[in-house]
Amino acid sequence: MKRIIQMTVNGEPVELAIEPNRTLLQVLREDLELTGTKHGCGLGDCGACTVILDGAPVNSCLVLAVQANGREVLTIEGLEENGDLHPIQKAFVEKGAIQCGFCTSGMILSAKALLDHNPRPSEIDIRTAISGNLCRCTGYQKIVEAIQAASETMAGSGGDAR
Amino acid sequence: MLLPKFEYHEPSTLQEALKLLSDLGGNAKLLAGGTDLLVRMKRKIDKPSHVISLARIPGLDEIVPRNGHSVTIGSAVSAAKLAGHELLSDRFTPLAMAAGRLGAPMIRNRATIGGNLVNARPAADLPPACMVLDATLKLKSASREREVLVNEFFRGPGETIIEQDELLVSIDINTPAPWSGGSYIKLGARKTLEISMVNVAVMLTLQSPDGSITDAKIALGAVAPTPVRALLAEKQLIGATPSEALFEKAGQVGVGTCSPITDHRGTMEYRCMMIEVLTKRCLMQAFERAKSWRPGR
Repeated sequence: MKRIIQMTVNGEPVELAIEPNRTLLQVLREDLELTGTKHGCGLGDCGACTVILDGAPVNSCLVLAVQANGREVLTIEGLEENGDLHPIQKAFVEKGAIQCGFCTSGMILSAKALLDHNPRPSEIDIRTAISGNLCRCTGYQKIVEAIQAASETMAGSGGDAR
Repeated sequence: MLLPKFEYHEPSTLQEALKLLSDLGGNAKLLAGGTDLLVRMKRKIDKPSHVISLARIPGLDEIVPRNGHSVTIGSAVSAAKLAGHELLSDRFTPLAMAAGRLGAPMIRNRATIGGNLVNARPAADLPPACMVLDATLKLKSASREREVLVNEFFRGPGETIIEQDELLVSIDINTPAPWSGGSYIKLGARKTLEISMVNVAVMLTLQSPDGSITDAKIALGAVAPTPVRALLAEKQLIGATPSEALFEKAGQVGVGTCSPITDHRGTMEYRCMMIEVLTKRCLMQAFERAKSWRPGR
C-alpha cells in the first residue's frame, strides 16, 4: 500500500505517494529526477548515493523513503548558491579532484557535512570523513586537497579570522 | 538491487510496537538503522512481509546518565552518537571506541547499538565492548519484561536468546569503579568499512594508580561463533601487579579461549597470533587509561 510522505528536498517541500519498499535513493532519482545522486553498490559499501539527511550524511540506498518522512534532505543539486557552484564544488574542479565523476556527488556531500561541523579539519579528519566514499579512479589525494582548499576559502569568507 | 514488497508500520509508542510484534509473529522484522536489515532484504536472506520501524518511538534514541552510578542507552542510539558522547568516551571507553570503528561515517549515522547486538554477528564491534562493561539488556514483549546479562545473550552466529515477540529496549551499564580504564582494538585489512578479522575489548581496574589489578575483563570477537570472554586470561591478571610481561602472558592464555576459523579475511594461525598481540596491546592501553583516571563527572 502506498503511503504519503512529506519531506524537504534541497529547501523545497515535496509530497509524494510511494510504496514502502522504495529507497530514498530510488525516489530521489526516479520520482524527483535528481540523478546527481548515484546508485553504486546498493548495499552501503561505496558511498556513491550519499545524501545529507537532517544534517548527517547517510547512504540513501539504505534508507527507506518512508523513513525520510518529515525530514530534510540535501542532495548535490541543492549545493549551488544563486546559480554559482558551492565552494567545495569549485575546489573539486580547480584541484582536478574529479576523474570519472561517479563518486563526486557523494564525496562532496561527505565533505560538506564535515565542514559544516568542523570548518578547519585536519587531513586525518578529512580522510575519515570520506572513508565511506570509494573512488575507483583512486584520485583520493586530489580530493583531500580540494577539501582542504575549500575549507580555507570557506573559513576565509566566513569572517572567522583564525 | 531492489527491496521485496512488505507492509510498513510506524508505531509511535513502545506498547504499540510490542503489540504489532506479538500479533504479526515471525512475519515481522524490526527496522532501526536498516544498515543490516535492508541489506539482508535486498539479498533476499530476510523476507519479512511486515516491517516495523522504531523511528517514531520516543526515548529509544537517548543516552541517559543515572547520577554517575550508571548509564541507560536506548537500543536505537546510533553508533555515531555513542562514539561522540563525552561521558561514554571518558567512563565507558571501549564502547565509544568500538562505535567509532563500526562501518564508515554514513553507516555510523544510521546503525544502532540494538541492531549491532541483536544481529549477533561474530565479528560485530559493539558486543565485545558491552561484554567487558558487564552490560544488562532490557528485553520487552507485549506481556512480559526481563533483564539479561550481555554475557548470556549470544548463542551463535546470528542467534541470541531473544524471543520472536521481544524487543531490545535498552542497555544498562554500571559506571566502572575508580581507577578503571578500557580500550578497544579492531584489526582488519583496511581502516574503515571493515569487518573485523579479530577485535579485542578490555577493562582494567586498579587498586590505586600504582597498585595491583583488582578487576580485569577481556572480550574477543571474530574468533569463535560468538564473542567470548577470555576468563582464564582475566584470572591471570586479577590480584597481580601490572607489567608488560603480565599482559603478554594474558595474551598467550587468551588464545586458548578462541576457536578461530580460516576464511578469506585471515587464517586460523594468523588470527591466533593476532589475538595474542592485540590482547597485550589493548591491556597496555587500558592500563595507561586506568592510571590516569580522574574523579568528577
